[in-house]
Amino acid sequence: MPADGTPVGAVPIGVHGPSPSSAGQPPRGPTPWGRIANLARRNEETGWRVAGRIAVVLPLAALLFAITILAIKAWPSIRVNGFHFLTGSAWAPGSTYGSIIKTDGVSHPQGSSYGAWPLILGTIQTSVIAVVIALPISIGAAFAITERLPRSAARVLGFTVELLAGVPSVVFGLWGILTLGPFLAQNVYPHIANVMPDVPVLRYFRSPTGHGEGLLTGGIVLAIMIIPIITATTRDLLRQVPSLPKEGASSLGMTEWEVARSVTLPWVRSGVIGATVLGLGRAIGETIALAMVTGSIIQVAPNIYSPMTTIAATIISQLDSAQTDATGFAISALAEAALILAVISVVVNVIARMIINRTSRLGANA
Amino acid sequence: MRRHTNVTRTPRAFRFIRQSAIGGAVAAIALSAASVAGAAAPTIPAPPSSAVTVAETGSSLLYPLWNLWQPVYSHQYPSVTISTASTGSGAGISQTLAGTANIGASDAYLAPAQVQANKNALNIPLAISSQFIAYNVPGVKNLKLSGNVIAQIYQGSITKWNAAPIAKLNKGVTLPSTPIVTVHRADGSGDTFIFSQFMSATNSTWNTKIPIGTTIPWPTVSGALAETGNSGMLSGCSATPGCIAYIGVSYLQKAQAANLGEALLQNAKGQFVLPTTATVTAAAASFTAKTPKSGAISMINSSAKGAYPIINYEYAIVLANQPSSTTASAIRSLLTWAISPAQGSSTTFLNSVNFVPLPAKVVTQSIAQIKKIK
Amino acid sequence: MTTTRWRSISTWLFKLGAYLALLAVLVPAVWLIGGVVARAVPNFEWDVLWTPTQGTNGGLENAILGTFVLMFGVLIVAGSIGVLAGIHLAELSRPRKSGKASGGIFRLAIEVLSGFPSIVLGYVAYVALVVGLNWHFGILPAVLTLSVLVIPYIAKGTESALRQVPNGYREGAVALGISTGRTLRTIVLKAALPGIATGLLLALAISGGETAPLLLTAGWTNQLPSFHLINQPVAYLTYPVYTFYNDPSHHAQVLSYDAALLLIVLVLGLLVSARVIVARTQRHSEAGA
Repeated sequence: MPADGTPVGAVPIGVHGPSPSSAGQPPRGPTPWGRIANLARRNEETGWRVAGRIAVVLPLAALLFAITILAIKAWPSIRVNGFHFLTGSAWAPGSTYGSIIKTDGVSHPQGSSYGAWPLILGTIQTSVIAVVIALPISIGAAFAITERLPRSAARVLGFTVELLAGVPSVVFGLWGILTLGPFLAQNVYPHIANVMPDVPVLRYFRSPTGHGEGLLTGGIVLAIMIIPIITATTRDLLRQVPSLPKEGASSLGMTEWEVARSVTLPWVRSGVIGATVLGLGRAIGETIALAMVTGSIIQVAPNIYSPMTTIAATIISQLDSAQTDATGFAISALAEAALILAVISVVVNVIARMIINRTSRLGANA
Repeated sequence: MRRHTNVTRTPRAFRFIRQSAIGGAVAAIALSAASVAGAAAPTIPAPPSSAVTVAETGSSLLYPLWNLWQPVYSHQYPSVTISTASTGSGAGISQTLAGTANIGASDAYLAPAQVQANKNALNIPLAISSQFIAYNVPGVKNLKLSGNVIAQIYQGSITKWNAAPIAKLNKGVTLPSTPIVTVHRADGSGDTFIFSQFMSATNSTWNTKIPIGTTIPWPTVSGALAETGNSGMLSGCSATPGCIAYIGVSYLQKAQAANLGEALLQNAKGQFVLPTTATVTAAAASFTAKTPKSGAISMINSSAKGAYPIINYEYAIVLANQPSSTTASAIRSLLTWAISPAQGSSTTFLNSVNFVPLPAKVVTQSIAQIKKIK
Repeated sequence: MTTTRWRSISTWLFKLGAYLALLAVLVPAVWLIGGVVARAVPNFEWDVLWTPTQGTNGGLENAILGTFVLMFGVLIVAGSIGVLAGIHLAELSRPRKSGKASGGIFRLAIEVLSGFPSIVLGYVAYVALVVGLNWHFGILPAVLTLSVLVIPYIAKGTESALRQVPNGYREGAVALGISTGRTLRTIVLKAALPGIATGLLLALAISGGETAPLLLTAGWTNQLPSFHLINQPVAYLTYPVYTFYNDPSHHAQVLSYDAALLLIVLVLGLLVSARVIVARTQRHSEAGA
């Protein structure tokens, strides 16, 4: 490249045609390939810009496409089931081998009517249980990793957390249903149920304790799945807390707990909340592990150990049977459930982003 | 990745054992073919010589039989690769109608609405199977149950094993006070279909409230479990003391090995029967004349003497208009082979899954349907 | 209780709580991985690696190769789109006057997509591609669905890697008169490569471990993957884990545990590769900007 400041592109390098055999003749200019190379170089930036623009639009296009398809497919169900879809508890495919009737212009089997409240409630319940369990564990573990452990142990633990983050959800489901569920049902749940008095809230924790497939087991498995996200984010946030305020507080005589409570935690609070909401978003959409571990019964769980279901688990377990409804009504009901799930997920993620962005802006201005 | 051929690299010992097993099976088939006198032995059309794949999916009841058929057929006709999957009859029907699978195995025939929407869909009977009611009550053998009692159990009106209606059917048997845990299928299931037909036929409340189908709105019963596939029903029930479950007969030996009991069911004549070749054949015989050309008929609660109440045809759901004629030719060959008494429907195969072969008239009807596949 | 007493107790409780929490993370991790290993290793036969599945018998060759083929497809499709999107977000889009990150709604869409339920994407792909376009089960619908799922992770990883490239590099290139495109290609991207590679490996781990969208787009087959991208189902390792674990045949259950073991080994491999890449570049990187 000319280092004397001549503007780029003025002298195409190495693309001259073959030198004329006789000396003294002027250079013949670039060959066709040379012209292309020049064009390429001048327009390379444009090329990157165009490619980048197209690429960045694709996720938005995919998202809008997905919501559109869902809305189209869900329309018959929205039409016929109406508001009852959100509040009703009966998931009735109707008489698939019987007669077809028409309601509001939509044909569907006689007696078919879909209420998704057990699915929606189940999704909320498992996610809330998961966050309630995961949050204190993640924060505590992050503290232990960053503040208390020697470097080598911290690295090993960080690796374990990342490994847990990468384990496929179906392996979690396998472990949940073969190992954890039966273990909890035999060794943990009966003890909890035995000590619970018959008062309003705690009543939910009384017998029967079932066989391991149910709401609490699902919530616990889900918690273990989202702990890595929250722990890793909290750990990174804790590392970024400036040491000066902490050392100052410590030198003023505050104990470790007081330093954590008054200095560190407020610093990372928004970030941790943001990470938790992200974990919540992941929990809401979790499909396979919960399909294996919750028992897939479409009901509102009568107690915390009972089988129930979530929106995602219902979609995957009912999709094939829904297609046997030749009117397409059952598919439409599942599409409406998927649409609700998508909307909840988008809302939760947008809230998470808003919290995180607020944090980074505050952090930048501090 | 290497281009697929039918040759798999298996260690020699494994291949030897497998080949001698297949050779033994082929020899046994030849012997049993010789012993089947006068049965309609259809000529099996050869599949195309070019490599072709046939994807089968669906009924978990029929799945063990497909897994027995697949290596033997592919050994005889190496150009055809068969993929099998156990996804439930509902998936078998829907995936075939959608075109994502070639053959859908189903214990349930097509619904009228499905026939209406897919005029070229066929449900071709392949064999006759049955369903047994398994229970996990250790120490109780030969439990007698009726459809009416089972329906009450699944609706939650009978909750303990020593309840009066059950005790009345089992005089002299000591029944424990264990709570009954009902297990049903979570996926779209042909077993649910025939079970729901039996319930509707024997219990009037069920008949009015709950429609038949591969998916039904199960009444809310405390402690009920849902499982996927017959294997799920089996593993769930054997892990749950006090459970009752409806399981396809091809899992009978495995259920007995898991210490599950097999209930004697009361048939329309009041007799208590187990699903044996004799009882299933007696029930099937009463429906043979009535079986329509399409093959779609319910064989539940036969009124014949000595008949078992829950039997059904196992169907291959196929679209008559296939996208490719090579696939169509392979499917025709495979299905004809499957129902031929000398090949797929020989006693060697059917006995391992406790099925009963099709009566000659139905074989002829199935052949006629198979010929429609183009 | 005196204040001092309470303060020392609370500190002690705090430390205990932290260690208990750590235990609560480690015990399930070890139990899970140990459990899978304990179930799979005693019954493991090396044959499983090079025999395809036959019904409930055979091995996992078709699933192993299928997973690799899918991951490779995701690497190409999602890798190219994700890296380009990350480049756009980091380098080429105009920064906002208010100091907020550039990209506006496109960035928001990427963030939202990264938490989107995979089952919904799988369902949409089933309706639109498998049934709608008549592609039926195949490598192409599966790869497209997985790509949409992981593009946000690649884009974010690329963007953060590019942002960490010291500005001095870019300024030096301008001073030398190198065009923006060439700077990007030969200098900035090369410097960001380790970060980008880490993002790609994360995306591969996610796509290799997915089940729900693949059930709806890839189907299942006993055959090894072929060059047919549509109308030909493909096998993948998560399927036997999901469907064979409660099959009455012992061999099928063993296949299920073996597939789980292979998946963990795969994730471990990707994780270790990512760490090695990071460690290598830290050794070679210059100190400071």
